[in-house]
Amino acid sequence: MIEIKNLKKVYGGVTVVNVPQLTIAKGESIGLVGNNGAGKTTLFRMILDLILPEAGEVLSNGEVVAGSESWKSYTASYLDEGFLIDYLTPEEYLYFIGGLHQQSQPQVDETLAQLGDFFNGEILRTGKYIRDLSKGNQCKVGVASCLLQNPQLLMLDEPFANIDPSTQFRLKNMLKDLNKSKGITTIVSSHDLNHITDVCDRILLMEKGVIIKDIATSSSTLNELEDYFGVGQTFTAAVKVDEEENH
Amino acid sequence: MISTFISHELKAFWRSRNTGKSIAIRVVMGVLILYLFLNVLFVGLFLNKILESVFPNEELIKSFCGIILIYFLFDLLFRLQLQELSTLRVQPYLHLPVKRNSIVRYLALSGVLSVFNLWPFVLFFPFVFKIVAHDLGMPVALAFCVAIIGLSIFNNYLALYIKRKSNMNGWIFLIAAAVLVLVTTCDFKWHLFSIQNISYLFFGHLITVPALALLPLLLGVVMYYFNFLYLKNNLYLEQLTAHKIKSYKSSTDIPYLSRFGKVGDLTANEIKLILRNKRSRSALIMGLFFMFYGLIFYTNAAYGDGFKVFVGLFMTGIFIINYGQFMFSWQASHFDGLLVGKIDFADFLKGKYLLFTIVSTVAFLLTTPYVYFGWNVLVIHFVMYLWNIGVTATIVLFFANRNYKRIDLSKGAAMNWEGVGATQLLLSFPLFLLPYVFYGPFAFFKHSNIGLAVLAVIAIIAITTRNYWIKQLEADYKTKRYKIAEGFRNK
Repeated sequence: MIEIKNLKKVYGGVTVVNVPQLTIAKGESIGLVGNNGAGKTTLFRMILDLILPEAGEVLSNGEVVAGSESWKSYTASYLDEGFLIDYLTPEEYLYFIGGLHQQSQPQVDETLAQLGDFFNGEILRTGKYIRDLSKGNQCKVGVASCLLQNPQLLMLDEPFANIDPSTQFRLKNMLKDLNKSKGITTIVSSHDLNHITDVCDRILLMEKGVIIKDIATSSSTLNELEDYFGVGQTFTAAVKVDEEENH
Repeated sequence: MISTFISHELKAFWRSRNTGKSIAIRVVMGVLILYLFLNVLFVGLFLNKILESVFPNEELIKSFCGIILIYFLFDLLFRLQLQELSTLRVQPYLHLPVKRNSIVRYLALSGVLSVFNLWPFVLFFPFVFKIVAHDLGMPVALAFCVAIIGLSIFNNYLALYIKRKSNMNGWIFLIAAAVLVLVTTCDFKWHLFSIQNISYLFFGHLITVPALALLPLLLGVVMYYFNFLYLKNNLYLEQLTAHKIKSYKSSTDIPYLSRFGKVGDLTANEIKLILRNKRSRSALIMGLFFMFYGLIFYTNAAYGDGFKVFVGLFMTGIFIINYGQFMFSWQASHFDGLLVGKIDFADFLKGKYLLFTIVSTVAFLLTTPYVYFGWNVLVIHFVMYLWNIGVTATIVLFFANRNYKRIDLSKGAAMNWEGVGATQLLLSFPLFLLPYVFYGPFAFFKHSNIGLAVLAVIAIIAITTRNYWIKQLEADYKTKRYKIAEGFRNK
């Protein structure tokens, strides 16, 4: 589905992304983790042809994405609020996105009807422009617009960050379902290690622009990641607390 | 605190991504202002000679007293159009232990720093010290000075107040402008009252009772206070209720546009953009205001066909120029979304052309009543209308590919009037000059009809070959898109 070759992005002399080789097969569910500044969003943007790499290329279905339009018909993505047209109502925006994919308004309505739980009554017919929605609700609109496009490839950047716990739960189930029963390739980044190991079959761990770990999710993955991010401090801190409580 | 604000503003200016461009604009503005300054200084120094020749039967000081208020009336008209609001991004300071009053005081006081406040001094003070001080003594001369300073302050803050109010509601600007035009016409055309006489009355009494000079000063202070209060209240309202929903926002369809398919959808979105955001809405309403420009030029027979070309260009194309020069920045906040969406850039451009065509057509229809001034006015308007949708629109889109600066529609609209000010008008000069490159030589040799025909032919060629231009713009855009998107991402 996605093939990355010698991809490199440099900002002000600092290499922010450096991926010599990465292949993502059709139907995989990829979780991208890494601390702030690890290059997750930059990698996303290069896959979506929003920024030009200094070297290397990204191939989607065997075709270079840079300058090409064909990947847009099967790729849906939501990175941030910059993807939403904020002076439209959610309905107007979703009809617009549906229209780009030759869907009539009734067809869009049909898809949205299935998202009633996910929206939790806070999106449709609320009489608000998207800019007046909270960040979490904006994220819901973004995810819904992705689903409308019936994609083969779905890319979400930190979708769990701003949404409430019940929506996080629903989103996790939706992502699993899309991947398992519809075979959609998903690439999701998150700082929440529980969610990401729950949803994704394969975890890519980035540090300073480099993918330093590429692991198939197993029962030990979460611990492995916690060890990496905890940098050995969680244990000592826990001991200290215990001591104080014993006194 | 105020010195901190000033240093932050200076940093904001020097570190802005557009610094190069702004400096270039400022240099050109500076030269223009210097030239104007010298002109006004010249008029000021020889004001006594000029008054003598204009009012040969009147006493010199009396005629001087008569023109002061008239000057301030026109001063107000010009200020409303050209004076720029002082701005400060207030949000980062609101939650800090900075007194609200000192923010507001900075905003209100920095409003005085405008070249407009220079003109009355340059124009009137030489006369006051040369003639008034000589004939009536120093105390009266000083009273004149104080009164003129007071009136300048009053005008300054009145103009700013109206401009600030119209940021919230664009109609206020139209109403204020209409009132001013009405006052002017009532005086000079219908002779219902005479500002000159009022001016005589006030400054005449000033000669006998110099203390009266405090009256304009008082008016100025009151106007300042109004500004201060308004800013203070809105600092609160604007920032803290930005996310409060005022009314139910309904979804709308524009059925007429749906027949154009994707292009129509894009245009419909952009029309919603214009109507639902303050800044873009102001640009549109300003465009309506310019529909009256014809009245200024056509009522005066001294202006020939050459001016009609200019007025026609302006009236049918003001929106293309005013709104178009910020393209694609209006869409900066969701440009990434447009890039990854299934949108062909050619369709995107066709949407822009469709928008320009619709608005220009409406503008052209609104100007049809000017047929009252002769059929040739209508013909000229029509040719310039074609020129605008053919040539001006393409040039504007060419420059849109070179615009990397983000406009944030959701924020800051209340505290700035970017988009409609002197600097923006300056940027559009090349667009105004272009038709004269073709029209001018013919008009010079008294064949202005041929010149007009040449403009029409060029316009029609531009319209019929539009697909070619769209291809060129698209190829050009492909080389710049990453830079545009990156610029728009930088807040």
